[in-house]
Amino acid sequence: MILDAKMPSGPVQDKWDKHRFDMKLINPANKRKFKVLVVGTGLGGAAAAASMAELGYQVEAFTYNDSPRRAHSIAAQGGINAAKNYQNDGDSVWRLFYDTVKGGDFRSREGNVYRLAMVSRNIIDQCVAQGVPFAREYGGLLANRSFGGAQVSRTFYARGQTGQQLLLGAYSALSKEVGGGRVKMHTRKEMMDIVNIDGVCRGIVTRDMVTGKIESHWGDAVVLATGGYGNVFFLSTNAQACNVTATYRAYKKGAAFANPCFTQIHPTCIPVSGDHQSKLTLMSESLRNDGRIWVPKKVGDNRSPELIPENERDYYLERKYPSFGNLSPRDISSRAAKEVCDEGRGVGATGYGVYLDFSTAIARVGQEMIAERYGNLFEMYERITGDNPYKTPMRIFPASHYTMGGLWVDYNLMTTVPGLHAIGEANFSDHGANRLGASALMQGLADGYFILPYTIGNYLAQAPLDKIDTNHAEFKKAEDEASAKINKIMSLKGKRTSTSFHRELGLLMWDKVGMGRNESGIKEALSKIPQIREEFWSNLTVPGSGAELNVSLERALRTADFLEFAELLAWDALERDESCGAHYREEHIHPDGEAKRDDTNFAHVAAWEYQGENIKPVRHQEQLEFENVHLAVRSYK
Amino acid sequence: MKLKLNIWRQKNAKTDGKMTSYQLNHVEEDMSFLEMLDILNEDLILKGDDPVAFDHDCREGICGACSMTINGTPHGPEKETTTCQLHMRKFKDGQTINIEPFRAKAFPVIKDLVVDRNAFDRIMQKGGYISVRTGQAQDANNIPISKKNADLAMDAAACIGCGACVAACPNGAAMLFVSAKVNQFALLPQGQIERKERVIGMVNQMEAEGFGACTNHFECEAACPKSISVKFIAKLNTEYLKATLTKNSF
Amino acid sequence: MLSNFLKSTILSKILVAVTGLLLVLFIVGHTLGNLLVYLGPNAINTYALGLKKLGALLWVVRGGLIFAVLIHIIATIRLTLYNKTAKPINYTVTGYITSTFSSRTMAIAGLTILFFVIYHLLHFTLGVTNPEFMKLETNLHGENVHDVFTMMITGFRNPLVSGFYILAVSFLGLHLNHGVKSLFHTLGIAGPIFTPMIAKISTVFAIVICGALISIPISVMLRIVGGAI
Repeated sequence: MILDAKMPSGPVQDKWDKHRFDMKLINPANKRKFKVLVVGTGLGGAAAAASMAELGYQVEAFTYNDSPRRAHSIAAQGGINAAKNYQNDGDSVWRLFYDTVKGGDFRSREGNVYRLAMVSRNIIDQCVAQGVPFAREYGGLLANRSFGGAQVSRTFYARGQTGQQLLLGAYSALSKEVGGGRVKMHTRKEMMDIVNIDGVCRGIVTRDMVTGKIESHWGDAVVLATGGYGNVFFLSTNAQACNVTATYRAYKKGAAFANPCFTQIHPTCIPVSGDHQSKLTLMSESLRNDGRIWVPKKVGDNRSPELIPENERDYYLERKYPSFGNLSPRDISSRAAKEVCDEGRGVGATGYGVYLDFSTAIARVGQEMIAERYGNLFEMYERITGDNPYKTPMRIFPASHYTMGGLWVDYNLMTTVPGLHAIGEANFSDHGANRLGASALMQGLADGYFILPYTIGNYLAQAPLDKIDTNHAEFKKAEDEASAKINKIMSLKGKRTSTSFHRELGLLMWDKVGMGRNESGIKEALSKIPQIREEFWSNLTVPGSGAELNVSLERALRTADFLEFAELLAWDALERDESCGAHYREEHIHPDGEAKRDDTNFAHVAAWEYQGENIKPVRHQEQLEFENVHLAVRSYK
Repeated sequence: MKLKLNIWRQKNAKTDGKMTSYQLNHVEEDMSFLEMLDILNEDLILKGDDPVAFDHDCREGICGACSMTINGTPHGPEKETTTCQLHMRKFKDGQTINIEPFRAKAFPVIKDLVVDRNAFDRIMQKGGYISVRTGQAQDANNIPISKKNADLAMDAAACIGCGACVAACPNGAAMLFVSAKVNQFALLPQGQIERKERVIGMVNQMEAEGFGACTNHFECEAACPKSISVKFIAKLNTEYLKATLTKNSF
Repeated sequence: MLSNFLKSTILSKILVAVTGLLLVLFIVGHTLGNLLVYLGPNAINTYALGLKKLGALLWVVRGGLIFAVLIHIIATIRLTLYNKTAKPINYTVTGYITSTFSSRTMAIAGLTILFFVIYHLLHFTLGVTNPEFMKLETNLHGENVHDVFTMMITGFRNPLVSGFYILAVSFLGLHLNHGVKSLFHTLGIAGPIFTPMIAKISTVFAIVICGALISIPISVMLRIVGGAI
C-alpha cells in the first residue's frame, strides 16, 4: 500500500489555490450524470450532500436516525473557531494554522491544516447567510470568545448550542435540496458494508431498520461522514448509536485506518453513578475557570465534602502545576484525576470522581455572579445528580469525547480505496494527536461545504467509471454477507446481551488503553479482546428476528465491529512507542509529567492495512514534514 | 425503588397495540428514565422477549430523538427536560408509570414507543431554509443584526424538533414547531427575501401532513423541553395572514 | 376569498377570532341593555323602543351579527372536526398542564350557547314559543309600545326557562374565559406580559358578564325585580 497524500507542491499558503486550479472540472450539464452516496448526515455529511446537490450531482444521503437533524454534531456546546480577527487581537490564518498544528502535537499534515484555517473564514460567512443565530454584540456585529486556552478570541458561538445551530443550518440546506428532489434522503437505514468493483468503491449495502430489508445502492463515489468511534469505551460523551461500523467496514474492504490510538478524553464530565450508566454527560470546560479541583488527602476518606477540613484536602492540580493550576490542559488534568482515583482517593459512590468546588469563587464574587456565569450548567448538573453545586462541590471525571484517528485520506479526502471518501470525525486528517476546543465543528463543515464538493469533481472527472447497477455480483455478495452475519447473530441464542459485551469491552479499553497506556496493559488488552469476541460469537442472545425493527440486533451488529476494531486501536497504541497529544504512554514522560514525543521515530501517520480475520494488520507510515511550524515541546508548567 | 410500568406495546405499524404491565424491583434514583428502560430491556432480552423499542440517541437533551409520553405528559413531569434527562428521583417508590408513544395522526407508530416524525422534515423541506449557495456568502459582519433580534431568533432556533408540542396538544397541532422556524428566519435580515413563500409553504405542508389547528391551550409550551414560547404562534398567525393577502402584490 | 379562508386552519382561526370579537362586543351591549331591567319598566322599554326606531340600521346590525355567528360556527365546527382527526388516539392517562376546562370544552359550550340563542330568539324576539309575549303592550309617554319588561318578568318566572338560561349563560362564561384571551393570541397580540395579563382579564370579564346576566332571572324569581306583576 502506498500512502500518497497528493499534497500540492509550493508554499503552504498557495497549495489549496493551486490545487483548485489544477483540478479537473465537470461540465455543469454532465454533473447530473454522476451519483454520489453520502453516509451520515451530521455536519460534514449534510453540508457535503447539500453542496454537491447544489452543484448538480445526484446525491443520496443515508442516516440511521429518524431525521438528519439528530446527528451527534448537535451536541457540541462550546463553539466554532474561525480566523476572522473580528476582535482585532492579532488573529490570522497563520495563527490558527500554527495553533492547530502545535495543539495536535505535530502529528498532522501542515498542508491540510493550513487549508482548514483558510476556509474557516468562509464557514462563518456561509452559516450567517443561512440564518444561524450566532451571538452578537450590542452593535450588531458577531461576538467571539476565547476558548480552550487560545490567546485570541476566535470562537463563534450560539449560546451553549453552537453544534445544534450549525447542524440545523446544514440540515436546512439539505432539506432544501431534498425538497427540490436533488437529494434522495434515506432515514433509518444503517450502512452494513461498502461495495468495491474492480478495486473502485461503487456503492453500499444498507439495512432498513424498520423492515430489516438488506438493500444495495450504487454510486459513482461514496462519502463516509459517519463520525468517530469513542463508544469503543462503552461509556463516552458520544450518542448511543455512534459506532465504528461504517469506517471499520471500509477498513476491511481496503481503506487504511490512520492513528486509531488518538482518542481524546474530556476532563469535565459527570462521573459514573452505577452499573446502569449508559453515557457520560459533558460539562463545559469553562467551569474550571472558577472551580477548584480537589480530593481528600487520606485514602478512603468518605466523609461528605463539607466535613473535610481545608488542610485535609489535596488541590492536586494547583499543587502539581502551579502556573496553570485548575486550567491545565485537557489531557494533563484528565490524567491527574485518574491518578488520584487510582490511589484510592477518588470521591463518589464508585470512587471515580474528583471534586470541582465553587465555594471559594462563591465567597469571592457571590452566588449571583456564579449563577450568571454557569446557571444552566448548574441546573443540568442538579437534574442529573440531584446535588446542588452551589452548596456541595460538583463531582467530575474524565470521559472519552472525540477521536482524532479515522480513515486515512489524502489531500482530496479520498481514502486508499478509489472513490471512497471520508470527511469530518470519520477521517484522521487535521487534528493530529489532539484536537483543540471548537475545532471539530470547523473541520466537519470545512470538509463538507468547502473541500469535498471540489475534490470529488476532480475524482469523478477522471475515474474509470463503467455503467453499473445493483444487480452486479459484488452487490449480491455484500448483501449475502450482511444477511449471513445477521442470521448468525440471530441463531446464537446464548445467555448474554450485546450491551453486556460492549460494557465489558469498554471497561477493558478504558482501563488498559484509555487515558494512560503502557506496554503490559496494552498487551493484556490485546490478549483479552479476542476472548470477549469469542464469547460474543458463542454466547450472545438477540430476541426477535432480523426482519423487523430490532434494537438489540442493531446493538449487536455495532458491538461486533467494536470487538474487532478495539484490537486495531490497541495495536496502534502499542506500536506508537512515544507519548504525543492525547496518546499518553506511561513509559514516555518528562519528569514533570508532560508527554515525551519521539520525533525521530514517530513524526508520522500510522495507517493500518487489513490483512484478514485474526491476522495482525500491517502498519504503514506517512512521514510528516514540518516546514512552517517548528517542532517544539509543549509545556504547561 | 419498585415501580410498575404500563407500556404501550405494538409490534409494527400494521398491528394493534396494547398497554402491557411490567414490574421493576431494583430501580435506583440516580438512573435516568431511559436507563431504567435499559434495565427493563436487558431483563426482557435475557428472558427471550422483545425489548421495548424507543427512539433515543444523544441522551443529553439536545438531539430531540427521545419521544415518549409519561403519565400523559410528553417527556414526563419535569419542566424543560427531555426524557433522557429525566431522572428516577422524580418518581416515588411503588408508583405506577404509564408510558405511551407520542400520539398524533401525523406521527404514526412504527413500533412500541417509536413514532415516525418525518412529517417535520417534510415541513422543513417546504421552506425551512434560507437559499444560499455554498461559498457565495458575503462577509459575515456585513449583515449587522441587533442583539435583541439575534437573541430572539436564537430563542426560536433552540427547538430540538422532538415533537413534544404535537404530542402534548389536544389537537395534535404542530404550530409551535413551525412557528419557531418561521420566526427564527423572519427575525433576521437574511430571511426576508423568502419570507412569504416560507410561511405559506411550511404552513400548507403542515396542514397536508394532518397536524391539527391551534386552539390556544398552550400545552405545547408547557411540554417543550426548550420552553419555546407560544408568542411565536401568535406571530405565525399574522405572518401567514399577511403573506396570503400580499403574496401577489409587489 | 371566504372559502379560501375557510380552507386554511390559520385563516379559519383568524375568522373565528374576528367574529368572536364582534360577538363579544354584542354581548357587552346586550348585557348592559338587559341590566336596565333593574331600573324599572320605563327604562328597559325606552331602550327597546330606541332599538326598534333604528329601523334599517338595526337590520344591518342584526344581519351582520347573524353573518358573524354563521362564520363563527362554520369555522369552529370545521376546525373541531379537523382537530379530532388529527388526534385519533388520546392517552390512557392524560396529564394536562396549561389547558383548562374552558379551553377543552369550547365546542360543547359553543353548541349549548347556539341552542340557547335559537330558543332565546324564538322565545323573546320572534314570539314563536310564546306568541302572547308579542301582544304585551304598555303606555310609554303616551305611546303604546311593546312591554319588554313584563315579557322578561313573565318569561323568567318559568323555572325551566330560567334554568336553561342560567345553564347557557354559565357555558357562555366558560366560552368567554378561553375565547377572549384566545382571540387576542390568534390575532397576533401576545407577549410575556400581555398573554398572562389578558388571561386574567378574560376570566374577570367572563365572571362579570356571566354574573350580570344570571342575576336577572334570579332576581325575577326571587321577586326582587317585577314583584308587582
